[in-house]
Amino acid sequence: MSYILEAKDLRKQYPDKLALKNLNLQLSPGEVFCLLGQNGAGKSTTINLFLGFIAPTAGAAYLGGLEVARHPLEIKKLLAYIPENVLLYPHLTGLENLALLSGLAGFKYRESELRDYLTQAGLPPEAAQRRVSTYSKGMRQKVGIASAVAKRAQVLLLDEPTSGLDPKASNEFSELLRLLSGQGTAVFMATHDIFRAKEVGTRVGIMREGELVDVRPTAALNANELEQLYLTHMQ
Amino acid sequence: MVRSIAHKEFLSTLRDRRFLVLSLLVLALLLAATLVGRRGYVALQAERAVAQETVNEQFHHQPGRHPYRVAHYGTFAFRPRAALSFLDNGLDSFTGAVVYLEAHQQNSVNFSPAQQAGSLIRFGELTVAFVLQTLVPLLLIFLCFGAFTEEREAGTLRLLLSQGVTLRQVAWGKIAGYSWAAVLVVAPALGLASILLLSGEATASSPDRWARLALFGLGYAVYFFVIIVGAVVVSARASQSRAALVTLLGCWMLGCLILPKATANLGAGLFPAITKAQLDAAVHEEAQHGINGHDPQDRRAAALKAGLLKKYGVTEEKDLPVSVAGVTMAEGEAYSSRVYQQHFADLTRTYERQNALSTWASLLNPYQAIRPLSMGLAGSDFAHYVHFQQAAEAYRYQLVQHLNGLQASMGYGDKERRLDASTWRAIPVFTYQAPPLGWALPQLALPALALLAWALGLSWLGMRLVDRSTTG
Repeated sequence: MSYILEAKDLRKQYPDKLALKNLNLQLSPGEVFCLLGQNGAGKSTTINLFLGFIAPTAGAAYLGGLEVARHPLEIKKLLAYIPENVLLYPHLTGLENLALLSGLAGFKYRESELRDYLTQAGLPPEAAQRRVSTYSKGMRQKVGIASAVAKRAQVLLLDEPTSGLDPKASNEFSELLRLLSGQGTAVFMATHDIFRAKEVGTRVGIMREGELVDVRPTAALNANELEQLYLTHMQ
Repeated sequence: MVRSIAHKEFLSTLRDRRFLVLSLLVLALLLAATLVGRRGYVALQAERAVAQETVNEQFHHQPGRHPYRVAHYGTFAFRPRAALSFLDNGLDSFTGAVVYLEAHQQNSVNFSPAQQAGSLIRFGELTVAFVLQTLVPLLLIFLCFGAFTEEREAGTLRLLLSQGVTLRQVAWGKIAGYSWAAVLVVAPALGLASILLLSGEATASSPDRWARLALFGLGYAVYFFVIIVGAVVVSARASQSRAALVTLLGCWMLGCLILPKATANLGAGLFPAITKAQLDAAVHEEAQHGINGHDPQDRRAAALKAGLLKKYGVTEEKDLPVSVAGVTMAEGEAYSSRVYQQHFADLTRTYERQNALSTWASLLNPYQAIRPLSMGLAGSDFAHYVHFQQAAEAYRYQLVQHLNGLQASMGYGDKERRLDASTWRAIPVFTYQAPPLGWALPQLALPALALLAWALGLSWLGMRLVDRSTTG
């Protein structure tokens, strides 16, 4: 079976710290994998390895069957990255930001098409023409999602995307993820939010001190059980 | 990709209020410097033209006189300012504007604007070149110091890179975007300069001046490119915006303030120049070895007289068809002039060595590349000044020898006679033709090549450094 995202014995060793210990993981198209863990557990390191921003010490990360370290530019055509705080460019409007990001990914859209993407992502139509400096965090996340859709990304790498969002915005974000997942996009999300992980994830993984210590299908657990499992591993 | 990033950078820059305020300030200074410079140029040019016309008229309207008196009456040569000197007045403020041309004496060019101005001129003038060489780089530093550091601090660099863009493409995009912004600030001033040149006398039909203006603009374009590339590379390598700004301001101080003064002082120390008084004394002393036209008892004058008597086959001076005094004067002038030319050439070589040190420093400092290039293209550098001095001296020598020739042709007893006033009107007046661009270019080859080397070298090395930068 071909996986859209795969880690084979992926390891990252810093001089003073083992950040990731031999990660083995596979994601299929449409799957939503939520990675739980404390700060410094290795979640962001994992995302950075898949983005090709850092080189692995051993093992390999693959996206769409391509080894990330060997094809750093090609793999970026497949993925979209949404950090904890999508800051975008404050002097540009939402439309201009989306035009820039999709343009860099090689997609040239008409203004009406860009508006459609923003609207689909849940951005109020009148906001598209406003500068991003006036946007809330939730609105910026929506521009980020719109850029992922416009880019036709096959994999979404999300780093604490719902952190700091109000419940309504967080809920809307989850809806969008479900929609994208339904369209075949694989989602890899690092999060602290156990409730959100249970809600949108198809599988959940728990990472501790650079090691993936547990992986479960979310359907097999309720929120309380997941929380209990998490706390057990954190002890 | 590069174009998309450049467009983003350009838009962001235009919408940044800090840049808007700073660039409007610099633009206002540039436009003011252009207008004030042009006004000063027109006023000085008219003043010198009137003065030259007046002295020419006075020379032509001398009464019937002996040529020797006319040679000592002399005339003046006023240095016309180069058409582009209103953009960069180079050494013009410190070099003289007028030289008194008389027999036996090679006078210095006097009455520089600095001589007649207050002491504040020592702090420098607000010229287009000053703004372009010193203030625009400062504006560019403020514009570019956060190119990468701010993106890193905001996390947007990772967003860009996750779209499949390389750090090098980001850097080129930023360089292109900032360059467009710089064009917005500088182009209006150069446009205004073009309009002023077009409206100037005889300029529209002078391809030489247009070529100089085009190269002037091109030179500054390369200079700004170097600054922008340097600032973007520093930003890419810096860990924080503050560190990038401090580094760039340090480079600006070193390049625009410290190194130029240090190399000028080093040049003066390594190749000390003699003073005008020392030059005059040396010329005077050596000229003593030549014939003295004023001393009939001079041994060499007596030999010359004997030669003339023999040549014309007569025994008495009164039978000679030429005036012995006139021929002696011509011989003395030729000798003293050769002596002066030799000493003047030595002094000029000393100055050129001093300047050369500064010009070679252009390989270390782009500011020291654009400065001589700018002055040279504007026609206000040392070489153009020396060209005028030599033209004035050549005219002086020609005039004095012509008058000596007239005296010689008057024959024996010439001192008791005068030549008709119409004789002076037949003598051509001093007219100065500034050298063409083709003359100036070989002398500007080193700074021009240094600037190009900076642009290419910094791009090559800088992009390699950018490649190794962190994504944050």
